[in-house]
Amino acid sequence: MLKRIYILLLAVLTVVMVPGCSKDDSQKVSSELQKEEQNEEKMDVKELIFEHLGDGYGWEVPFSHTTRMPLPVIVRAEDHSWFCFSSADLTESIEVKDPATGKEHKQMVPVVKTCERDGKQYRFVLARISTHKDKVVEVFDLSPEDQKKVDAELAKHKEGDVVDEGMPVIDGYVYVPDADAAAAHKVAGQYYKEYRPLDLSITKDVMALFISVLVVIAMVLGLVGFYRRHPDMKAPRKGMGFIELLVSFIYYDNIKPTLGENSRKFAPYLLTVFFFILTMNLLGLIVVFPGGANLTGNIAVTLVLAVCTFVLTNVLGTKHYWKEILWPDVPIWLKCPLPIMQFIEIFGIFTKPAALAVRLFANMMGGHMIVITLTLLIFIFASFGAAVAGSAAVVSILFSVFMLALDVLVSFIQAYVFTLLSTLFIAMAQEKGEHGEAGKEEESLLHKEAEKIDSVKI
Amino acid sequence: MELFTPDFGLVFWMFVAFILLFLVLAKWGWPVIIKMMDKRASTIDEGVENARQAKEQLDNARAEADRYMKEVMAKQQEMLRDAQKMKTEIIEQARNEAAKVAQGEMDAAKVSIEQARKQAESQIRDEVSRFSIEIAEKMMRSQLKDTKAQTELVNKMLDDIEKN
Repeated sequence: MLKRIYILLLAVLTVVMVPGCSKDDSQKVSSELQKEEQNEEKMDVKELIFEHLGDGYGWEVPFSHTTRMPLPVIVRAEDHSWFCFSSADLTESIEVKDPATGKEHKQMVPVVKTCERDGKQYRFVLARISTHKDKVVEVFDLSPEDQKKVDAELAKHKEGDVVDEGMPVIDGYVYVPDADAAAAHKVAGQYYKEYRPLDLSITKDVMALFISVLVVIAMVLGLVGFYRRHPDMKAPRKGMGFIELLVSFIYYDNIKPTLGENSRKFAPYLLTVFFFILTMNLLGLIVVFPGGANLTGNIAVTLVLAVCTFVLTNVLGTKHYWKEILWPDVPIWLKCPLPIMQFIEIFGIFTKPAALAVRLFANMMGGHMIVITLTLLIFIFASFGAAVAGSAAVVSILFSVFMLALDVLVSFIQAYVFTLLSTLFIAMAQEKGEHGEAGKEEESLLHKEAEKIDSVKI
Repeated sequence: MELFTPDFGLVFWMFVAFILLFLVLAKWGWPVIIKMMDKRASTIDEGVENARQAKEQLDNARAEADRYMKEVMAKQQEMLRDAQKMKTEIIEQARNEAAKVAQGEMDAAKVSIEQARKQAESQIRDEVSRFSIEIAEKMMRSQLKDTKAQTELVNKMLDDIEKN
């Protein structure tokens, strides 16, 4: 049965891909030069990858380059007044006529959003040619000095090196192309002075974050609800059973043996971390709406989680833990005249959570990047003709499916590793001195376990 | 490279969202689940322990029953043996009794037979003597028809008497 599905899939892929490309091919024969030029213009792989991995003010909709689900933009202007408007106001979809082929296609261009408050005008724009690329900036008209500065910069860049879409990026200023001119395929626009406002927008990533939070709450409170409905201690089945399985896996197999009597105290944090990371990881693998945001592959998200572990570890650390850091049990010359061990230990306090954040971030981002690159291979190979593109499509889709399956595994492993290491760090900081030798043994055991896990990973 | 430089907005919302999630789950989520799972685990442990004890009891009961069975069987055997013994005894006794009775009857029969025989004998003797006398009489009568014979006989008899 499964085999038949595979064969069917392969057949469909080849049929779909090959004619599509052959149409391009015939076009290519007619205007080969122009086509190649277009290809070069279209394929900026690095740009594409980071656009997919990065954040955005709207949420992409499948099969459309010009429509986005609008999300609220919340910014604080330079004079500390807050503004909230829809992200749809920042862009406009225009018809662009290609002068060479005469074909029309839709394109998104940024427009200046003007807000009025107390008789004062505030203007915001989605920066494209600026140091704050793809961020909302507040813009001001150029004063004569600014104009002079911009002119000087432009002169310097006449044979330009840092050129983006034809105009140079000037620090502190933003170039806004004119939407009407862009529609006519002409280059026109102007520089504005820019100010990057404090930006608390509900971006795609923030929205995905909220969705993940809701999903986790629904899962956990759903399980609690199941218990409420079945006071006879019936064990849940299927979906609920799986959640319970994960809880028992984390709590009984990891938290309890490591933290012992403290497990009740720290279990809520560790379980929340595990389920939150797992949900974010898995939602990130879904391509369309509720997923598609590369959350755990964004350092901001993993950083917050690591900081939480850091705070919990050190704020609730015992006297023994601090003694081990500030006056460790090593030969005296290692710590007395020159605080070598103290330096290493204090350095270790910070590197441990940093490693947590970077490990999760790098693993998840790497997985997403590989899948996107494999998908982009199809478009890179498209310029080599129908047969190559068709077979490349089949191969890269097979590889993408494999990578996505692997990413499901990695999602789970990374959530587990983050939780496990957090548990170990917290457990080390919960050591009490009074069990003396036994305590030390336990600690070395924990160290060993941590090292083992590190060696298993990567 | 916004991926590598944390964006303040995302950090802020992540912090808010995570703290909220943590508070909600720490209040209404995890304690309930952990308590429930602990409770279920201890119930299952208890159940297993109960089952073990029940099995032990059952095994004990079975052993007891076996022991009773064996005892009963032994008793039965003994009873059977006793009964057998009693049976043989009774039969023996009855046989002896019967033999005694039979002996007595035999003896009585013998006595009566003896009596009858004696009676018959004496009867026969009487009859025989009577017949012999009659026969002798008849013979005498036929032989002593002539006087010579009579004298001869008388002589002979007298000779016998003389000889004696």
